[in-house]
Amino acid sequence: MTSLKATIIEIFQLGSEIAGVLDLPVKYWPLTGQYLPCQRVDGGSDGQPTHLFRVVGDLDVLNLAPIPEDWSPGDRLVCTPPQGHGFALPRSAQRVGLIPFKVSPARLLSLAGTALSQRAAVSLFYEAAPPVDWLERVSSQVEILPLASLQENPDWLDYLAVDLEQSAIPEFMDRINTRDLHCGGQVLVRTDMPCRGLGDCGVCAVHTRRGWRYACADGPVFPMEEVFHVAG
Amino acid sequence: MWLDEDKPILKRDLVLNQPLVNASGILGFVPNLRAQPAISRLGAFITNPISRRPRQPAANRAYLPFPGRFLFHTGHPNPGITRAIARFGRRWAGAPLPVIVHLLAESPGTLTEMIHKLEGLENILAVELGLPPTCDPDMLSAVMAAGAGELPLIPCLSPEQVPTLLDTLNDLQPIALHLVEPRGALPGPGGEIITGRLYGPAIFPVMLAAAQVLINAGLRVIANGGVYDPWQVDALMKVGVTAVGLGSVLWQVDPTAIFPDLQP
Repeated sequence: MTSLKATIIEIFQLGSEIAGVLDLPVKYWPLTGQYLPCQRVDGGSDGQPTHLFRVVGDLDVLNLAPIPEDWSPGDRLVCTPPQGHGFALPRSAQRVGLIPFKVSPARLLSLAGTALSQRAAVSLFYEAAPPVDWLERVSSQVEILPLASLQENPDWLDYLAVDLEQSAIPEFMDRINTRDLHCGGQVLVRTDMPCRGLGDCGVCAVHTRRGWRYACADGPVFPMEEVFHVAG
Repeated sequence: MWLDEDKPILKRDLVLNQPLVNASGILGFVPNLRAQPAISRLGAFITNPISRRPRQPAANRAYLPFPGRFLFHTGHPNPGITRAIARFGRRWAGAPLPVIVHLLAESPGTLTEMIHKLEGLENILAVELGLPPTCDPDMLSAVMAAGAGELPLIPCLSPEQVPTLLDTLNDLQPIALHLVEPRGALPGPGGEIITGRLYGPAIFPVMLAAAQVLINAGLRVIANGGVYDPWQVDALMKVGVTAVGLGSVLWQVDPTAIFPDLQP
């Protein structure tokens, strides 16, 4: 696998995490949900690679997070091409729902731009009102709704994207019955992926309808019906 | 020197073209040169641990970073020996470097059966034996006897097992032994204590010291070492190890930046 070189052009605060802009060629930009294992050139003491995910921003700029605190603008990075499976928003989707469940909405909001560009209506279902600094980053075309309102109109959505920690899956299933929503969708499962698909180590294993799947290689974005409502 | 009539004469040797190998559990079950081109420069490819029956990921699997690097607990998920051979046997045979199959030595009886299944496969250089943490001298002797066959056996032990097993290893004189990462414990996300192996530069001094003890006892040693720098490879080679096992450093984006010798 070819390793790529890139430079951090800019760094900025995005809610509670640090994000940055990379000058990577467009053909290597990750889809929303895919990850980019990165390390600083000559950063042998940095430890294991940092997996950067695409976050909210203009469609023609590559915004990625989480940037480690000690990285600076101008730092040279070495990274692999995008890894894993990202969100695949159907071209036919016209009513798109986004649920960042107890996580920052930054990753899912990068999908909002794609949805809006295909003239879909986008609703962000949020646990509580997003912080004010977030509202500046959300397109005015995105409707922000309380999570509880999701099941008031279960037939409305035709595509749902969820982002959550693996440990939050049971709680999410207690709160939301995705079967009632009558729509397709995908879920980004956040979990540690230290071997980034090289080792079949299994630490990122996700229990799915088809058995154990590894987030690093089979995900981290999975079909919603594979992950939710799996017995055991 | 007179031959000891009590010790078997083994017409085998472990020949590695390069002094670097991967640690088991780091690069999967088959060498994937596309994903990690540095594999082509290893002396042998060591598979992930394989058990007799399929194993699922541990319920409390964890990757727990700490200042020395990280603790890792996975439960060694694997398809079991029968499916592993069906799935990977041809790719082992066609691999561009020799393969060492790592077996979890759960009991002497099951080990014999597992090793018989491997005999006759092409390009298998040796079998590594993953020993349980509770392994005592009797179990080690029983496991080595049960595994004796056409393939050389390389028992794996961690530094904390050296004092208990050293005398037995001296008697058994395996073709080589593999010194692997020590076990440790850390609180998990919910505060529960999780045990697993420790990876990273913090373990290097422990590994170097243990390697020295084993080599001074006259044993051939492949040593993992939390190696993240060429000087650590040099230090291990200087004390006399046969090869150095690279662990999580192979998960770096470009390990050839650290080890130019791995440049394909």
